[in-house]
Amino acid sequence: MSDDPFETIKVTFFQECSELLGDLEANLLALETGDGDIETINAVFRAVHSVKGGAGAFGLEDLVRFAHVFETLMDELRSGRKDCDDVTIKTLLRASDVLADHIAAAQGTGAPVDAARSAGLVAELEVLTHGQAASVAPAPVVAADEDDFGFTPLTLDLADFGAPAGLPSLDLPPLGLPSLETASAAVATAGWRIVFRPHPRLYASANDVSLLLRELARLGPTSVELDDSGLPSLDALDAEDAHLIWTIELSGDVAEAAVRDVFDFVEMDCDLSITALGGAQPAVEASLPPLPVLDARPAEPEIDIAALLAKAAAPVEAPAPAPVVAAPAPVAPAAPPPAPAPVAPVAAAPKPVAPAAPAPTLAATPSAPAAVAPVTIRVDLDRVDRLINVVGELVIQQAMLAQRVMESGLARSSDIALGLEDLELLTRDIQDSVMAIRAQPVKSVFQRMPRLVREVADMTGKRVRLVTSGEDTEVDKTVVERLAEPITHMLRNAIDHGLENAEEREAAGKPAEGTVRLAALHRSGRIVIEIADDGKGINRPRVRGIAVARGLIAEDAVLTDDEVDNLIFLPGFSTAETVTDVSGRGVGMDVVKRSIQALGGRISISSVPGKGSTFTLSLPLTLAVLDGMVVSAADQTLVAPLSAIVESLTPRVEDIHYVGGHDAVIRFREEFVPLVDVGRVMGFRDDATPLAGGVVMIVETEAGSRAALLVDAINGQRQVVIKSLETHYRHVDGVSAATILGDGSVALILDIDALVIAGRRKSNRPELKMAS
Amino acid sequence: MTKTILTVDDSRTMRDMLMLALKDAGYRVVQAEDGVHGLEVLRAENPDIVITDINMPRMDGFGFIEGMRADPNHKATPVLVLTTESDAAKKQRAREAGATGWIVKPFDPAKLVDAVRRVAA
Repeated sequence: MSDDPFETIKVTFFQECSELLGDLEANLLALETGDGDIETINAVFRAVHSVKGGAGAFGLEDLVRFAHVFETLMDELRSGRKDCDDVTIKTLLRASDVLADHIAAAQGTGAPVDAARSAGLVAELEVLTHGQAASVAPAPVVAADEDDFGFTPLTLDLADFGAPAGLPSLDLPPLGLPSLETASAAVATAGWRIVFRPHPRLYASANDVSLLLRELARLGPTSVELDDSGLPSLDALDAEDAHLIWTIELSGDVAEAAVRDVFDFVEMDCDLSITALGGAQPAVEASLPPLPVLDARPAEPEIDIAALLAKAAAPVEAPAPAPVVAAPAPVAPAAPPPAPAPVAPVAAAPKPVAPAAPAPTLAATPSAPAAVAPVTIRVDLDRVDRLINVVGELVIQQAMLAQRVMESGLARSSDIALGLEDLELLTRDIQDSVMAIRAQPVKSVFQRMPRLVREVADMTGKRVRLVTSGEDTEVDKTVVERLAEPITHMLRNAIDHGLENAEEREAAGKPAEGTVRLAALHRSGRIVIEIADDGKGINRPRVRGIAVARGLIAEDAVLTDDEVDNLIFLPGFSTAETVTDVSGRGVGMDVVKRSIQALGGRISISSVPGKGSTFTLSLPLTLAVLDGMVVSAADQTLVAPLSAIVESLTPRVEDIHYVGGHDAVIRFREEFVPLVDVGRVMGFRDDATPLAGGVVMIVETEAGSRAALLVDAINGQRQVVIKSLETHYRHVDGVSAATILGDGSVALILDIDALVIAGRRKSNRPELKMAS
Repeated sequence: MTKTILTVDDSRTMRDMLMLALKDAGYRVVQAEDGVHGLEVLRAENPDIVITDINMPRMDGFGFIEGMRADPNHKATPVLVLTTESDAAKKQRAREAGATGWIVKPFDPAKLVDAVRRVAA
């Protein structure tokens, strides 16, 4: 992280942008499906507006310009001046894609924006906004704003701009400012006489005359006179009314704009005249007609402005009506401002007698404090990972300690053993809490997919609807990040290969628009991601033909439908007969499978011809810990993931049968499941594990099929810290990772699915060279 | 005494920028994320000055200022609204709602602190 706070905020800005883009897209999709309302449109407007605001602060002009055009259309929609029809929503969706490109370009993480695409969308947005493309293309900001105020009286707006310095070129006809500007620019003034009569509104908006006087005093020496002749007697005084007139003489060569700037905030809430001192220039009268609000207060005694001005134009030496204050120009900023007349604060103070009825919103708030957004802090990931590592060590240390205590022969009911149990619970709590810090919803990945689907649909000319669910499912941050690529690839595949085009679909009696479902859910301690399409399903004869042609399987291999489907995961397999723009990127499903396996996950496919295919990814929730069953096989200590184990039993010889003479199966609840001799399959021993004294664990594979693992003994259930075997050694078939046990020894963690497949391969399917 | 400023803005970027500029100028800053939250913080913290955005979820800046002015304790608390140069109509509405002044976005820290100083005793 940078030391420059501005750069840090910039980082925040881009983080916020990606969140805003996510919301933006989600809201636009809600509008598309008809789930949106006016608040959805407002939310879209706000998201674009916030992007624009931040971009402006960082001087990202391209982004500001694009966001502005986008925002202008959203403003039309939310004001109801424009209907939010299908065409508009489709355009907005594409505009949100380009907005994302602009943001990525500004961040320096993306390619430069496709200028033609961006300009094209700007034109489209403008057509939707104005009914035609804005003719003043170079200055879309101005063009859009004019439209913005189409329904408000223009004179008010312009007057409100206040300081002429900011907008010198704007013409303000009724105020005669241009002439003043030329005058003040040409003649060095001796100073200014300012006559200032606040309206009640000025006080009501919490402005303070003393502060204005202080600001004037910053510009040069001032003398201030107060005319309190309009002040009623105390019993007739309305504390919220305004009764005072101030005359300030400011000496020195001060630009009129600087003086006017002081009154920027209050210009519309007072009568104000600013006259050059000692000059022959005509008095410039800048007071404005009273606001409609003021008209509602007939009690205010009318003061003749003309008379007031005449008085103000009189020689300075003339005795003023009531010289309450005559401050001798305090220049130092620290000096107190000229004190206002004692009554003035009263006028500004809230009126205690008649407090306005509290707004319903205010009254409603006490009951809804729970709605406050959760407080968050941002922490460097490094720190969290360090914590996780230390907690991992703590878990191991705790396990070691427990083992030592056991070995020392202390009774299980001893204080030490009991205390140790509490410690174990606490350790587990700590671990869960730490893991929760790293957990993130998969939303961040899912949100990127609608755009992908749109683009692939455009490229392939197919009509596709993406339906997502389970976006809030949480999983470890690393897992979330590494999910994006495989999901992207599988969605591409689903649309490109899975879905038919509209004509084919209609011919098959399906809706013309294909549906791709992307879902995330928790299942038995793992996260499952499903990508399903309602397309034509896997063409098994073709897949088989390709596999044979590539030498991946023998020509006469006997394969189940499932096994044929799984051939697409073999390295070097690509079903695309022609390499298309979409899928032909040199990445096959084997790469997807490898990247999922690297995360300790598995991928499987099920397909029904004519109905579609479903890819299922199953991943561990965390890459750091695992609930495992510690077992031993041929003197090796192994850990089986608890989530896979259904139950364990002592095998009876009469339950074991051999299929084809050598494939062992075991009878389990009226069904036969394949028996995998772990010690033998893993290569720890050559001869078969003796059944006597052995233990069988019934496990369930990811695909839902069951198998029985034969081991020598079960040593107990334990939470283990996962250490990658690939990082420290290399990939071993049938093993997903390693761990360090309480006694300090290394144990391998079994990859159940790979083990079951290896067991099958070892015994009865020599002709199938299927990779695990 | 250090003055407390409440900033109400739904954009984290904008909140951070306000925080940075105002803290550097020696103010204590408390934050809220929308109008509803703003009114809660207002009552809890009694800030001397309030700076609020207009476009916010749940309750926008206009509603927030109106709610604030309806509270006798905050009738005379200065409120600056964050607005864009072109938003004259919004400025006008903010004024009607009781805003004291405005800060034009994008602002630089000097301009921001200047605007705050102009409305703060």
